[in-house]
Amino acid sequence: MPISAAHAGKTYPPTAPYEVTRGKIAEFAAALGDANPAYAAAAPVAPPTFAAVLAAEAWGALFADPELDLQLKRTIHYDQAFDFVRPLRAGDEVTASLTIDKVRLRGATAFITVSVALATTAGEPVCTAVSTLLHTWPSEDAS
Amino acid sequence: MTDLSTVAVGTELPALQVTFDRQRLVRYAGASGDFNPIHYSDHHARALGLAGCLAHGMLTMGVGLRVVTDWCVDPGRVRRYSVRFTKPVQVPDDDAGAVVHFTARVSAIEDAVATVAIDARCGEDKVLGAAVAEVSLA
Repeated sequence: MPISAAHAGKTYPPTAPYEVTRGKIAEFAAALGDANPAYAAAAPVAPPTFAAVLAAEAWGALFADPELDLQLKRTIHYDQAFDFVRPLRAGDEVTASLTIDKVRLRGATAFITVSVALATTAGEPVCTAVSTLLHTWPSEDAS
Repeated sequence: MTDLSTVAVGTELPALQVTFDRQRLVRYAGASGDFNPIHYSDHHARALGLAGCLAHGMLTMGVGLRVVTDWCVDPGRVRRYSVRFTKPVQVPDDDAGAVVHFTARVSAIEDAVATVAIDARCGEDKVLGAAVAEVSLA
């Protein structure tokens, strides 16, 4: 049986620790065309939406869970919210933990709200990234 | 530098205009690790019924926050940021690319936190919906 409202509340183990580095911050800021000096400071912080890179890592658990019957290529990113406790900084070692918050089914489409908690390996919360993902299963007669 | 002590409801932030071209999509794919081919390969995009490559929603969201962080300078002031991905930015394979216009306005201030509503348009299309950032003024 695919994902259903009964999966709300399901949590997954944290991702492997990711080390935020000065070089990755510079690369990500350049990709946004963002010359904010905070990203190139002696102790640089990451652009706020860099948190999505770590959150998307945690989404992998959804597609790896055979119980849910979800495929990345059938998934659309519908909305995104970040609640920041503090910026990610170079040197942070961060894990991302996924929770399924809510599931609504409408025909062959599932509206899945997930939250990813980003925290340092020392246990300090950094950011929560909440996303709604739309997943559509193929119709029965499609190849 | 912006003087945040004078911020009031209705304050308009300096507008921002950003060109999205194929190089930007490739750079963002590499920097973010999102290698969905619809963001760099026309034939993959067309196979899904699209006219051509689309910008990553997260790229549009990330660039859109620049209208706020260029203004408040310290990105650590951003407490919350949320958007809906209403319409993707179509990025043609040419020298002009697609130009996205970002404007923003303070819509509320409470407990020294400004709520900033962001408008993001590419031509007639509103490419982000309900885009709102909360910025600490303290």
